[in-house]
Amino acid sequence: MDHSQKVDVKTKVLLLLPFFLGASLSAEELTVHAAASLTDAMKEIAAVYEKESGDKLQLNLGASSMLARQIEEGAPADVFLSADEAKMDALEKKGLLVAGTRRSLLSNTLVIIVPANAKLLPERAADLAKPEFKRLALAETQTVPAGIYARESLQRLGLWEKLKDRVVPTENVRATLAAVESGNVDAGIVYRTDALMAKKAKVAAEIPAADTPKISYPLAVLQSSREPERARKLADYLASPPAQKIFAKFGFLPAN
Amino acid sequence: MNLRLEEVRLVLGAFTLELDLTLERAVTGIFGPSGSGKTSLLDLIAGLRKPTAGRLQLDDDLLADAKSRTHLRARRRRIGYVPQDLALFPHLNVRANLGYGYRAPLTDDHAHFSLDHVAEVMEIEPLLERDVLALSGGEQQRVALARAVLSQPRLLLLDEPMSSLDSKLKRRLIPFLHRIRGEFHIPLIYVTHDAAELVALCDEVTVLDHGKLVERCAPEKLLTDV
Amino acid sequence: MSAETWQIVFFTIKVSLLGTLLILPLGVAVAWLLALREWKGKALLETAVMLPLFVPPVATGLILLMLFGRNGAFGSALDRIGIDVVFTWRAVVLASAVMAFPLLVRTAQAAFQEVNPRFADIARTLGASEWRVFATISLPLAFRGVVVGAVLAFARAMGEFGATAIVAGMIPGKTMTISLAIYQNIQLGQDAAALPLLLISIAIVFLTVLCGQMLLPRKGRR
Repeated sequence: MDHSQKVDVKTKVLLLLPFFLGASLSAEELTVHAAASLTDAMKEIAAVYEKESGDKLQLNLGASSMLARQIEEGAPADVFLSADEAKMDALEKKGLLVAGTRRSLLSNTLVIIVPANAKLLPERAADLAKPEFKRLALAETQTVPAGIYARESLQRLGLWEKLKDRVVPTENVRATLAAVESGNVDAGIVYRTDALMAKKAKVAAEIPAADTPKISYPLAVLQSSREPERARKLADYLASPPAQKIFAKFGFLPAN
Repeated sequence: MNLRLEEVRLVLGAFTLELDLTLERAVTGIFGPSGSGKTSLLDLIAGLRKPTAGRLQLDDDLLADAKSRTHLRARRRRIGYVPQDLALFPHLNVRANLGYGYRAPLTDDHAHFSLDHVAEVMEIEPLLERDVLALSGGEQQRVALARAVLSQPRLLLLDEPMSSLDSKLKRRLIPFLHRIRGEFHIPLIYVTHDAAELVALCDEVTVLDHGKLVERCAPEKLLTDV
Repeated sequence: MSAETWQIVFFTIKVSLLGTLLILPLGVAVAWLLALREWKGKALLETAVMLPLFVPPVATGLILLMLFGRNGAFGSALDRIGIDVVFTWRAVVLASAVMAFPLLVRTAQAAFQEVNPRFADIARTLGASEWRVFATISLPLAFRGVVVGAVLAFARAMGEFGATAIVAGMIPGKTMTISLAIYQNIQLGQDAAALPLLLISIAIVFLTVLCGQMLLPRKGRR
């Protein structure tokens, strides 16, 4: 009459086995697509978050344009932290964001950097028009946020026409930093937060906020997330004071 | 001419060439079955291969010494070579082939080494502007010989020069070889597996087998032995 | 087909031709050296020459960047005399040349090896120096194969991407080759714009390699 009583020990063990496979069921891996300029801050935040929540964070860092494209093509990701609103708009239009999770997280400023041993320092953006600055590294100016911000700033200052032939486009803002650090270009425009990480480059001048477009880093949970609850939890954490404190440590400004 | 091979060894695939002898005659024949090392011996003398051991000396010149790692390059030896396949340069015509190794006569004694004269002696004047590949077997042979002679060698090596010719052509070629000896006074080392050729041309025969000297004799002896 | 596309195509052809011409003398010489019978250190040279074929192209690009960048061993010397390499058309030529070199050498080496070594030997007994043997015997007899090597090198240069991206960047109008332009279009999500470039590059390379194949010596000695 009772089939269940006929279940032997071996079967019982097999049935319970999944629950014995470590704490893996109670912890998840979340994939975060984050703009390249957030590299160091995100690594530190990830370490803290993993300890507190038990969830593991897989960081995919690169130009926001490339990351957005990957999300559009179906790359599995839980959270997207972009360096400009345009990329987030594109995803929202395609219905790839979880409604209600989008918010502006951070802001930043632009600086002009030169190789550490450079003799000539531009004191302001207009100085870049001098003939000594033959090559100017910028992130790709049509698609990568840092490059778009830089180009728009130079356009506002009436310098773009003069400088656009000197531009060496790079794949993302960290590549811009690397190009300047290698000494193979004469100057570059990156976020102040990148310049703070520089070892072989120094800040020559800051581009005043009045001359730059509004810089905003939006955050959202993605529709493709397999763990939307945990993803929301992570998104909330990134907006919370402890995380914001770490961002500030690296030079990021709060969302404006 | 005095060609001395002193305890010369050359390791070939299946066996080792080992010779210790002196060649002094005007025309020396090297006789032996195929694969007995005859071609390798000529390569050694010409400077195209280095001996594994031993010394080679031609008159006053040290050609090679394995112990002291001395090796006189082929281009400096002034030893002419007519290989079995003739190696006529296919992209050059007869005249260009002939003139390839040509050196201006060293002395008046060598005045007869002019291209025209040698071509006349070898009866290849009408062929001078022809393409080498369009010549008959016998004509190619004579061109190859003439080319070697024109480099004014002090020794001429011939590797089976008549192996691709029929007996009629062979008979035709023999006088030319005599002329090389008589008119140009160049000593010859003549390799073949045909005993009749040796009798017609050589003063002495060295018999090789599997790289070793088997005997040295008058050419006639080979006919009777066979 | 916009003016910009034509500019990219002609630029790519120009730098590929230049790169191929640049490596011809050295490549043919090295090929001949490697085709000679054994000599000391031959295996070492052979391996060094083949490296760009097996090392990831971006790694080769990085090595070139380190050597020819303004702070690099060669770059600093060139910078002193006012010559910029990285991020200019010169870097494109350099990358193409380095990546095409092994292909040229390999093909030319095979061509030299096909020539009966007896010809060179007899030339030596006739008193020719090694240079004369090379110029009057080996090269003329291997000529067709050497030309095929040059053609293949050109095709490889046309398609060069990885090393070029690293050492020359993708500067529109200055270092943008067909491959780089296709890549950039993909990056920008403009796949359709890449199509004309894609078709042209396939057409050029197809024709080039076809010509090369037709020039190949037929089986059997001349």
